[in-house]
Amino acid sequence: MPRVERDLFQRLCRARELLGDHDESLTIREVAARVSVSRFHFIRRFEELFGATPNQFRTQRRIERAQELLARGEHSVTETCMRVGFTSLGSFSALFTRRVGSSPSDYRRRMRVLVALPGLLTAVRAPSCFGLMAHLPPGAFRNPREA
Amino acid sequence: MRIKLHSIMVEDQEKALAFYTRVLGFAKKHDVPAGPFRWITVVSPDGPEDLELVLEPNANPAAKTFQQAMFAQGIPLAAFEVADIAAEVARLETKRVAFTQKPVRMGPVTIAVFSDTCGNLIQLYQPG
Repeated sequence: MPRVERDLFQRLCRARELLGDHDESLTIREVAARVSVSRFHFIRRFEELFGATPNQFRTQRRIERAQELLARGEHSVTETCMRVGFTSLGSFSALFTRRVGSSPSDYRRRMRVLVALPGLLTAVRAPSCFGLMAHLPPGAFRNPREA
Repeated sequence: MRIKLHSIMVEDQEKALAFYTRVLGFAKKHDVPAGPFRWITVVSPDGPEDLELVLEPNANPAAKTFQQAMFAQGIPLAAFEVADIAAEVARLETKRVAFTQKPVRMGPVTIAVFSDTCGNLIQLYQPG
């Protein structure tokens, strides 16, 4: 029965913070030890609570951090790769392309154009939720009962 | 003026759509490409049919901070009403949904809390 007791819940939340901390380079085993949960138990319960294994979660956070750095344009693709914790540029580029839909260099180039226009970068990367409604087709909100 | 849309931030829209439809049992109402994101809404088969829950992309760092803090404090960001909370909890547990609060009586309602695996805690409540 996947019930998460209060103490374990707090430990798993702490582990999530550690995994998302880009200044930490702890292994999964070390993170589990930090929060005093056995590695097997840690991986299983973390996935139940957050919908991803610790490794998947950290990889996603690294990709998101890479997007931020590349969008700012202050670092090269190689520098970004290293700063977010990848050791292989090839693996980083392949993974980034698969997750984001464009290569790191293409992404950096595309976002750099937006930096010159204050506010636009944020609007593109983190749009207002309800602003996305603009993409709906005409009549999307027509009530079926009125048809 | 009426309440038509309510949004909940999710870390991964694809995963959220799968969870809210296949696990919770809601029905997809809209799924439209919106730049790098999607406009996704779901509705409950139990109604009301035109009240939509928007699965909002959690791309804003400020939203991430807020969401993560609320989660760590154990605070649900949405509440869904059920007629039989014990049965609903049992059904969801067979689907490996992680509950952080088992059903407990609180005044006029019985509540339970689970993780939606997309960064949020969700409260179920049964009135009466």
